[in-house]
Amino acid sequence: MKKHVITLVLLGAMLLGGGIFMVTGSKELSLTERRTLAQWPKLTWQNISTGKFMSSAEDAAADQFPMRDTFRSMKAYYLRYGQHQLDNNGIYVTDGNAAKLEYPLQDASIKHAISLMDKIYKRYLLGKPVKCYYSVVPDKNYYLAAQLGYPSMDYEALLATLDSSLRMTYIDLFGQLDENSYYNTDPHWNQETLLPVANALTQAMGVPAPEVIQTLDAGEFSGAYAGQSALPLKEDRLRYLEIASQDSCSVLDVANNTQIPLYNLDKVGSRDPYDFFLNGASPIQIITNPKAKSNRELVIFRDSFGSSISPLLADSYAKITLVDLRYTYSDVLSNYISFTNQDVLFLYSTTILNNSQTLH
Amino acid sequence: MVFSSLVFLYAFLPAVLLAYFVAPKRFKNTVLLLFSLAFYAWGEPKYLILIVISIAQGYLCGLLIERLRGSFSAKLVLTISIIGSLGLLGYFKYANFLLSTINEVVGSKIPLLKLALPVGISFYTFQILSYTVDVYRGAAAAQKNPIDFGAYVVLFPQLIAGPIVRYQDIASELTVRKSTLNGVYDGTVRFLVGLGKKVLLANQLGAICAGYRASVEPTVVYAWLSSVAFLLQIYFDFSGYSDMAIGMGKILGFHFPENFDHPYTSKTVTEFWRRWHMSLGTWFRDYVYIPLGGNRVKKVLWLRNILVVWCLTGLWHGAGWNFLLWGLMFAVLLMAEKLFYGKFMQSSKVVGHIYVIGCLLFSFVLFNGSSMAQIRSDFGAMFGLRSLPFLSVETTYALRSSLVLLIMSAIGATALPVKLYHRLEDSKFGPYLNVLQPVGLVFILLLSTAFLVDGSFNPFLYFRF
Repeated sequence: MKKHVITLVLLGAMLLGGGIFMVTGSKELSLTERRTLAQWPKLTWQNISTGKFMSSAEDAAADQFPMRDTFRSMKAYYLRYGQHQLDNNGIYVTDGNAAKLEYPLQDASIKHAISLMDKIYKRYLLGKPVKCYYSVVPDKNYYLAAQLGYPSMDYEALLATLDSSLRMTYIDLFGQLDENSYYNTDPHWNQETLLPVANALTQAMGVPAPEVIQTLDAGEFSGAYAGQSALPLKEDRLRYLEIASQDSCSVLDVANNTQIPLYNLDKVGSRDPYDFFLNGASPIQIITNPKAKSNRELVIFRDSFGSSISPLLADSYAKITLVDLRYTYSDVLSNYISFTNQDVLFLYSTTILNNSQTLH
Repeated sequence: MVFSSLVFLYAFLPAVLLAYFVAPKRFKNTVLLLFSLAFYAWGEPKYLILIVISIAQGYLCGLLIERLRGSFSAKLVLTISIIGSLGLLGYFKYANFLLSTINEVVGSKIPLLKLALPVGISFYTFQILSYTVDVYRGAAAAQKNPIDFGAYVVLFPQLIAGPIVRYQDIASELTVRKSTLNGVYDGTVRFLVGLGKKVLLANQLGAICAGYRASVEPTVVYAWLSSVAFLLQIYFDFSGYSDMAIGMGKILGFHFPENFDHPYTSKTVTEFWRRWHMSLGTWFRDYVYIPLGGNRVKKVLWLRNILVVWCLTGLWHGAGWNFLLWGLMFAVLLMAEKLFYGKFMQSSKVVGHIYVIGCLLFSFVLFNGSSMAQIRSDFGAMFGLRSLPFLSVETTYALRSSLVLLIMSAIGATALPVKLYHRLEDSKFGPYLNVLQPVGLVFILLLSTAFLVDGSFNPFLYFRF
C-alpha cells in the first residue's frame, strides 16, 4: 500500500510538474540545435477551428519541455549503450569523433548545384580571361564511414557527374585530407591541418604557396555535433595558422560595410565557435593583402569550409572575394564583382552539394 | 491527440484526472464527457459535430427501441439506427473506395470526395451499433441519461483505438464505480507499460520500416527486415495503445475487456484471432457470424459465414483492395485449418508457431501496402523477383543498428517477460520488486518522455532565425 502511494504521488508530481513547466515555458533558442524553439500558439478561435493551435501546441510542447537537453541526452545514452543503435538522429560517434550520416547521393541536388555553377559560368565567366576551377571538400564520412562499414554517398558518382558537367578544371583535395583533418565535435575541417590543402590549391592555380609562420591556440570549443549528439564529447582545440603577411590583411564584410578580423577571438566562446574564421557566414567578403606573394585576384564561391581555408590563401592572393550563395543570389553578383582576369574557384563541401537547395 | 504525446501526458491527463477525482460523484461522467469531447476536438475539431450526432442518434434510438420493444416499430428503429451508423461510416470511410473502383472498372472519371477519415469512427460506430442491437435483444437496458450515454461513446481512453467496449460490459460501471488505490496503481502500471511498448518499441520499429521505404538501395534482406519489423511494430503499437486504454479505464474505475493475449505465441491462425484484437473478433462473432448461423448450419453456409465475416473484418481495417485480400487470406486459412490441418498444428511443438508467424509476415505485407503495386513490389523484393541485391552496406547497417531492438521486441512479444516477473515475485527476490517496480515505472515514463521530447529534434549547422 505504502509503495503504491509513494509511486503514485511521485508519478503524479512528475506529470504535474513537467506539465506546468512545459506550458509556461518560453525559451527562445536551442544552443545545441542552433535554432529558434517553437513557442506556444495564441489561443484564438481561428487557430482552434483550423486545428493550427493543436499542431503548433504539439511542437511547442516538445520544444518547451523542461530540461530538454537532459532528456535528449537520456535518449542518446539509452540508444547507444542500451540498444547499441549505431546513430541517433543520423549522428554517430566513433572514438570521440562525431559525424553525421550523409546518405544517399541526392541526384536532384547535385543537378541543381551543377546548374547553378553552370549558370554563373555562362553569365559571368564565359569569354572572359578568367581561369575557372572547382574543388570538392569531402565530408568526414568519406574517411570514417567506409572504415566502419556505415553507408555513405557515392563519392565516385558525385565526382564523375561534376566532371562530365562542369567546364572547369578540377582540383582534387580528397588525397590531402584524412579523418584527422576534421574537428571531433564539428563537421568542419581543422585549419591546423589545411596547409597541404592550401598548397594543392595554390599549386593548381599557379600562385605561390602560402607561408605559415606559426600555429596559435585560441582555446577549447565544442562544435555543432557536440550538442546534436547529446553525448559528452571531449572539446576540440581551436588552433589556427598565422601566415607571413597576416598583419597586412584586411577583410571587408560587404553586406554590413564593416571591417572584420581574419580571425575573431571573441567568437570562440560564442554560440558558433567556427565563426572565429572570418566572423562567420556572410554573403560577400573581400580580403585584401598588399603584401601577398602575388598580385593575382581570386573569387571563391564557397560554403562555410571556405572561411577557414581563405585566410591561408590570403598569403598568395592580393585580393580574395568570397561569395556565399546561401546568403546572396547569383543574379546580383554584377553589383559587387567585376569579373576581369581573376582566378575563380567553386569550393563546396559534399554536404552542401548533396543539399544544394540552400544555394541560390 | 494521441496518448503518446507530451500534450496528452503532461497537460491533458493530469488535468482530466485532477478534475475527475475532485468532482463530486454525480458530476464525474459529465467531466469525462466534456474532457473526452475536448480530446476528440483536439485532433478533429471539424468532425466533433459528427460524433455528437452519432451519440444523439444512438441515445434516441436506444430509448425508442426499448419503448417499442416487441413491436415491428422497434425493428424499424433499429434498422434506421444501423443504417444511420453504417451510413456515416460508409460515407466517410468507403465512398472514395467505391468511386475509385467504379472509375477503374467502368473507365469513368467520377471525382472523388474530398473527405478526411474522422478519427475513431470505426470504433465508436461499432460501439453504438452494439448498443442499439443489445437494447433490441434485451441484453441491455437503454441508457436514460444522455450524459452517461455520451460518456460511454466518447470515453477518451478507448475512443480512437479501442478496445471496442460493449455497452453491457460497462453499463453498471457508468452509474456505480469506484477507483481504489490498488485499481489506480494497477491501472498506472498498465498505462506505463503500454506507453513503453508504443514509444520505446513500436515507434522505433516503425523507423526501420520507414528506412526501408526511403532506401534507394533496397535489398532482399532489407525487405525481410522491414516486414519482420512491421510485424513487431503493429503488435506493440496496437497492444500498447490497448494497454494504455485499459490502464486509464482502470484508474477511472472502469474494467475494459482485454484486447491482446500474446497473439504471436499462437500455433494456428484460429488461435491467433482469439488472441489478437479480441474485442473486434468477438464483435463480429456476436453481431455477424452468429446471426448468420455461425457453424450451426450446413457446411457450405458455414464457409460462407466465415467468408462474409472476414471480408468485413478486412474492410473494417481499411477501405482498399489490399485489406479485402488480407481478410480473404485469413478466411481461407481459417477454413483450411478447420477442414484439414488445424488439429495437427495445434498439437505440434514448433511447426505451428512457424506456420503462424509465416502467415502473419505475409499477411502484414498485404496489410501494410499503400497500393497493389507496392504490395507486388514488396513481395517481389522478399522473394528475389526484382533483381535486387541480397545485401548492401545500408542493409547491413540497418541490421546491426536494430539487432538489439529486434531481439528485445521478439522476446517482449512472448509471454516470457510476464512469466519471469511472476517467477521473480514468488522467489526470495520478490520483496525487491517493491522497489524495482516503482523504479521501473519511473524509468519508463522518463525514457518515453526523452524519446518524445527528442521527436522535435531539428538541428541546423548555423543559427536560423
